[in-house]
Amino acid sequence: MVVHTDTIVALATPPGRSGIGVIRISGPRALALARILVRDQDFDPQPHRAILRSIHDVTSGEILDQALVTYFKAPHSYTGEDVVELSCHGSPVLLSHILDSLLALDARTAGPGEFTLRALSNGRLNLSQAEAVRDLINAQTGAALRQAARQVKGELSARLRPIKDGVLEVIVQLESRLEFVEDDLPGVALAQLHETLLQLSRQLDQMAATFRSGRLLKDGLKVTLAGRPNVGKSSIFNALLLRERAIVTEIPGTTRDTLSELLNLDGIPVLITDTAGLRASDDKVEHLGIERTKQAIADADLVVVVIDGSQPLNDEDREVLSLVADSLNVIAVNKSDLPRHDHTATLGDRQERIVPVSAKTGEGLSDLRQAMLEPFLLREIHDGHFLVTNARHFDLLSRANLALLGAGELLKQKVSEELILVELYNALHYLGEITGETTPDDVLSQIFSTFCIGK
Amino acid sequence: MSFDECFDVIVIGAGHAGCEAASAAARLGAQTALITLNLDLIGQMSCNPAIGGIAKGHVVREIDALGGIMGRVIDRTGIQFRLLNRSRGPAVQAPRAQADRTLYRLEMRRVLEATPNLHLRQGLVVDFIIGGGEICGVELQDTRRLRAKAVVLATGTFLNGLIHTGRRTFAAGRAGEPASLEISESLKRAGFSLGRLKTGTPPRLDRRTINWDLFEPQPPDENPVPFSFSTERLDQPQITCYIGYTNEKIHQLIRDNLHESPLYSGKIKGIGPRYCPSIEDKVVKFPEKTRHQLFLEPEGHETNEVYLNGFSTSLPAELQQELVRMIPGLEEARILRPGYAIEYDFVDPRSLTPCLETIKVKNLFFAGQINGTTGYEEAACQGLIAGINAALRAQNRGSFRLNREESYIGVLVSDLITYGVDEPYRLFTSRSEHRLELRHDTADARLSPYGRELGLVDDHQWLRFNRRRDSITRLRLALEQTRFKRSESTYRLAVQQLGCDLGDSFSLAQLAQRPNVDASFVYNLLPVSLRSNHSFSDFQTALADIFYAGYINSNRFTQQRLHQFDHLPIASDFNYRSVSGFSREMVERFERVRPQTFGQARRIPGLTPAAVSLLLVQLKAHRPAV
Repeated sequence: MVVHTDTIVALATPPGRSGIGVIRISGPRALALARILVRDQDFDPQPHRAILRSIHDVTSGEILDQALVTYFKAPHSYTGEDVVELSCHGSPVLLSHILDSLLALDARTAGPGEFTLRALSNGRLNLSQAEAVRDLINAQTGAALRQAARQVKGELSARLRPIKDGVLEVIVQLESRLEFVEDDLPGVALAQLHETLLQLSRQLDQMAATFRSGRLLKDGLKVTLAGRPNVGKSSIFNALLLRERAIVTEIPGTTRDTLSELLNLDGIPVLITDTAGLRASDDKVEHLGIERTKQAIADADLVVVVIDGSQPLNDEDREVLSLVADSLNVIAVNKSDLPRHDHTATLGDRQERIVPVSAKTGEGLSDLRQAMLEPFLLREIHDGHFLVTNARHFDLLSRANLALLGAGELLKQKVSEELILVELYNALHYLGEITGETTPDDVLSQIFSTFCIGK
Repeated sequence: MSFDECFDVIVIGAGHAGCEAASAAARLGAQTALITLNLDLIGQMSCNPAIGGIAKGHVVREIDALGGIMGRVIDRTGIQFRLLNRSRGPAVQAPRAQADRTLYRLEMRRVLEATPNLHLRQGLVVDFIIGGGEICGVELQDTRRLRAKAVVLATGTFLNGLIHTGRRTFAAGRAGEPASLEISESLKRAGFSLGRLKTGTPPRLDRRTINWDLFEPQPPDENPVPFSFSTERLDQPQITCYIGYTNEKIHQLIRDNLHESPLYSGKIKGIGPRYCPSIEDKVVKFPEKTRHQLFLEPEGHETNEVYLNGFSTSLPAELQQELVRMIPGLEEARILRPGYAIEYDFVDPRSLTPCLETIKVKNLFFAGQINGTTGYEEAACQGLIAGINAALRAQNRGSFRLNREESYIGVLVSDLITYGVDEPYRLFTSRSEHRLELRHDTADARLSPYGRELGLVDDHQWLRFNRRRDSITRLRLALEQTRFKRSESTYRLAVQQLGCDLGDSFSLAQLAQRPNVDASFVYNLLPVSLRSNHSFSDFQTALADIFYAGYINSNRFTQQRLHQFDHLPIASDFNYRSVSGFSREMVERFERVRPQTFGQARRIPGLTPAAVSLLLVQLKAHRPAV
């Protein structure tokens, strides 16, 4: 364990006026500083218990606030050091006054992420857990929060460990044949090793595949509403948000700029964007709006093309449909409350989901929500599956998988072990970037406990 | 202070580390004294009379490439040469040779005595003379005081050595030789932290009492590969070794008598090597194994002594005799010397620099088992590095170090000084991250230029080196340029041999990059003129260069990705002390080097992985936003 000699302090809650403001103190002098603030040299709180105490001004001695003081004794704290948390009233003036006092008492302001860095260097968290802490803080919906919390508990590392052990086992088999050629070792069934590698690869593949859903949970989904003017995009936008966010009139071209709002759709954060209607226009402002619409379409994970169900498709509609041809899209046939024009002839052969809706009556809106999520494998999210939510993890898992497949291919060609091992060590390194490195000594230890080595 | 004699360099101990150290220092021009307890036992092989093996053989070739002597001595005295892993890739092949124990020792002494500037002295060192944090000389038991500018300590198992057989223990450096108790004490006084390790040997048998017919012969190689790049041919007649097995009855008797074993009665405190376990350990740790392999290795042409490899033990001598006779073929066997275990002191090698100089006492170098290693080869290469640096220091010529990317010697030194040891340290090829590039047959290309620059590689060796290098270059070119078209008969021959299509035409280099292509098949496709001008061994090196180039290149991307932050700059005034999380030791290592990039920092020996990631986090956090 690395011993940090200085004590750091920072506001642990967002700055600004709030109900409660938490000041976190971490380091060897945490308790000593707390004693000064509560003006009690014998203050010896039971760890993990919140105690109500008066916080005093260090110089004048006057009472500043009544705060809940919680002591976490090293190493059983977030950072692995002595930690004291002061839950004060959330006045910015008060909080900065207390912080200033602490700084005057020889504490230091914690840099961004420094608490987590200390937790990392004290072995309280591994890297993937530390990343999950960041996700936890940034989580936008309940489901995303649950996934982040699972990773803080080290679930990704825990799930990878058996795979890593499997890779290590194959390495041990091949490595011992190389290094201990004079020892009387049992033969290795290459076909069986090959099968093991394929199995491990499949497991990695499955984990990596959850990233599509996992990414949704974390980063959410970008959905853009597009269509020609006056088909009711803004009405649908408002209906989905359940409030009158966008201005709606009968005048075509009312929406000039893109407008985005966050929506929680079954636990998935969805950033939904209303756009200016697409049509040829000489109006400079409208023209700029249309450029933005095109950008929003390009940025979207899914485009909802809105058409007016009461009218036949016109050239502008077709223009829009061809514009979104390359993106994932759903067609919302709006105004289903009005007499319906039959679009089957023109839309019948298209691949997209077609959903009749009425922004006015709310009819079909839940179908539309469903249709927006459907293309993204969401079963896993709700079935409580573990999901990979971090792009770096996804990248490492995919690379590890490729390395395993490479090793399997070389094994099949019966090339010399040292070449197969290059790929296997690469796989191990990639997994190690998530779970922690495996050293050559770990490999050797495994060999010695598996085989009786030595002349 | 008066001295009886003055030298530039003093080497204490004439085992495998001490011999290399003294030879190198003397040949670099330093007046060098080699002090040993017994001048008749210079270069003694106290355990297995064999040199080389996987990784160890690589090291001997590296020693030779740098201008060391071990390779040449074993080539002149080896009585069974075998290239191990012949069926595998060239990167993991390595030579091993069994020595005639007596001839090896005599040849080593002859080589040292023929070395100018090298002075052999018999005596027991009892104390160091240290002044102002620098070593100034040593004091012998016979009261002689020897002065030196630099001292290499290579005392093997002699430091506080304690031999165990059964319940009997006695102080000894090796069987029949006294231990050195005083040096341990003076090291402690100088502030070094000592630990305790253990190793052991098997019994030696009388050749005439063995029923050889019951053992399986293990013949020598038909075309032996020498260790030294300057050896043209091997002169010793080659012998056959024999393989046999233990059985369940033996295992049972061992189990019944574990209380007699100092290992299991708790008498031995030192930690032994896991890859060289005693027969007691094998039986206890692998109860499911019904037999353990044994090797009968004759110790020389002119002796009846046979080394029972694989049967290392510290059980009582009479029990050893009984156990040996239970081995099929050894029913009548007599033990000449019983096996024993020995405990000895070692110094935590984290107290050393990459030049093997101690951080505490200037100009004092440690080499060999004192640093916690095991094996003649591991000892010898440390002796070479320490000897070179002791001489350079005495002559004010800077320092010499090898890094882990270019040699197994660098791997060993960096492992030792970074991680220390908790069991006797042995080299394995898997300890290197660059196994494909550290082939035994490229040791010369990697290291001889250093040896030449230092002055250890003589004109004759250098001429051979250049000739070989040019020959390999020419062969590589020929392999790339020799092409065969579909219409040629050779093309059809190759297709027939490989069982796959080769396109419109193929070059021999392309052929060489395919897995499992026989070297002699490719060789025979070369023009006759080339074949007569270049040796097959040069050809094999050229072929292996081409074979691995593909894999090394394709792996480079991965390596680059793993090292993608190497170019991150570190400000020249970067304050390591201000980073909470670096231990003082890590700060010192950073400050000693003052790296300019993360890549340089990452390679500083002695850094923990945690310190490296913490530095990376710092550098990334403070990088100006783009």
